[in-house]
Amino acid sequence: MTLRPRIGVVVEWLPPLVVFALVVGLWEGLVRALHVQQFLLPKPSTIISVFWTQRHVLWPAGWYTFKEALGGFAIGSGAGVVAATVVGRFRTAGQALMPIFIAANAVPIIAFAPIFGAWFNPIQPQSKMAIAAVLCFLPVMVNTLRGLQSARPRQVELMRSYAASELEIWRRVRVPTALPFLFTALKVASVLSMIGAIVGEYFGGAMNALGVTINTDAQIFQFDAAWAGILVASLLGIALYSAVVVAERLVVRWSPEARVS
Amino acid sequence: MSNAAAVVRSPPARRRRASVVGGLARAGLVALVAAALVGFWELYHWVWVSTGWTWPFVVNDTSMPHVWTIYHAFGQPAQVNQPALINVLLHKTAFTAKEAAAGFGLGALIGFALAVVLAQVRLLQRGFLPYIVGSQTVPILAIAPMVVLWVNPRLPGSLQGWGAVAVIATYLTFFPVTINTLRGLQSADPRALELMRTYAASRWAVLWKLRVPASLPYLFSALRLAATASVVGAIIGELPTGLQDGLGGAIINFNQYYSIEPQELWATNVIAAALGIAFFVIVVLAEKAIVRRAPEETA
Repeated sequence: MTLRPRIGVVVEWLPPLVVFALVVGLWEGLVRALHVQQFLLPKPSTIISVFWTQRHVLWPAGWYTFKEALGGFAIGSGAGVVAATVVGRFRTAGQALMPIFIAANAVPIIAFAPIFGAWFNPIQPQSKMAIAAVLCFLPVMVNTLRGLQSARPRQVELMRSYAASELEIWRRVRVPTALPFLFTALKVASVLSMIGAIVGEYFGGAMNALGVTINTDAQIFQFDAAWAGILVASLLGIALYSAVVVAERLVVRWSPEARVS
Repeated sequence: MSNAAAVVRSPPARRRRASVVGGLARAGLVALVAAALVGFWELYHWVWVSTGWTWPFVVNDTSMPHVWTIYHAFGQPAQVNQPALINVLLHKTAFTAKEAAAGFGLGALIGFALAVVLAQVRLLQRGFLPYIVGSQTVPILAIAPMVVLWVNPRLPGSLQGWGAVAVIATYLTFFPVTINTLRGLQSADPRALELMRTYAASRWAVLWKLRVPASLPYLFSALRLAATASVVGAIIGELPTGLQDGLGGAIINFNQYYSIEPQELWATNVIAAALGIAFFVIVVLAEKAIVRRAPEETA
């Protein structure tokens, strides 16, 4: 009984670790064996060493961009939940507005990044927060609305037969049904917010922002530094994603979905 | 016999008539929504300008050009001695659409194949799934220049330039397809699985007769996401390559003149938005054609 969980942890973690070691080893070995030019694909060992030597530049830059992403994530997801709650309350409004949101969801919003730069000063973090917020808003809004509307009619009828108020039904049936949908969207949004902040910085941003740093390094062919910056961006993105996953496991304990991914 | 056939045939006919009416209603709704958006845009512009509000941003003819200014920009050449902007943009759209379509096709194929392999071999799934999820946290724009520099010289001449951008579109496409197809393949009814097993069905038969049909709705919801993602990938991929033939190049170009002629960037973005929506609509129509036929095949 005491051994069981430990074996489970090993079984869960061993395959990813083996794959990681294999991929990094193969990368390092192939770059060395085939003499791939340093500027095209640096060795993992080089990236790590640059990652360490430039940590005083990379981490503050990463933190700056992370704050933009976090702000956009909070604003966009918050607005998405509020909008879905309002729209979900009025059925006809929801049905009329749904096609707009679906169409808006199909728009490549990243293409509007330069316009956000023109609206807000591109040097100010607000412009990146705005683009990240718009990117987060749509999936959160659409998924939350779908979640609020996917409560089983029988459950709602049962609540009604107990003379439960609409608020009570909302709190005890609709919100719990919507939560797994919401967290799925938040996971998507966490990744999008980081991408939005970095892509936004490509069109101009503060000098100490991560997107600008990566872009400048890539333009002057310092690809080891650019890859080190990408590593920072990925680590921060994974951190935000993991935070959402942890929150999901804490909040949505009853759903089997939460345990799968 | 013929009577029965007529009875069977009449509901689809009625359904078709209903779908025509529904289509007209939907077209009307789209027109209404477009008119409402234009009205809202101009109203916002008017209110903010006349009250002098500057929150969240300063509204003027540069930050929010009038709808008719943007509309007129389509008919005028962006530079002297050039065809009208709309012609230039349509050419660029065709180029970006080619990149996006190639990336979409390749990404969907790779994503589906990967999902089938991962669903069959649990060990691989455990090993690779965390990295497939992690791969999406890599800001694609950041690696795009390196991907382009690396891929471009290895491509045959006819693929040079746009082929590398298609690779980036592929990268953005494969992920939702893999994740959703995997979930779909695993969503097959356990009772049906057991039935297949009692018939001693081979793994292959279980896969094609049961798991793949079960995954189709999941696959299509992923393809709808991927349709937009492939357009995003094509536009983003063009940014660092310096390719001037597509919409991404046009966005970078017009962005530099935004303070003088904002309507051109807006016009380009309107076209980019339309391209994304067009990709989405094509996938939705394909889904309707394919998934509606599915129940007949199983019945």
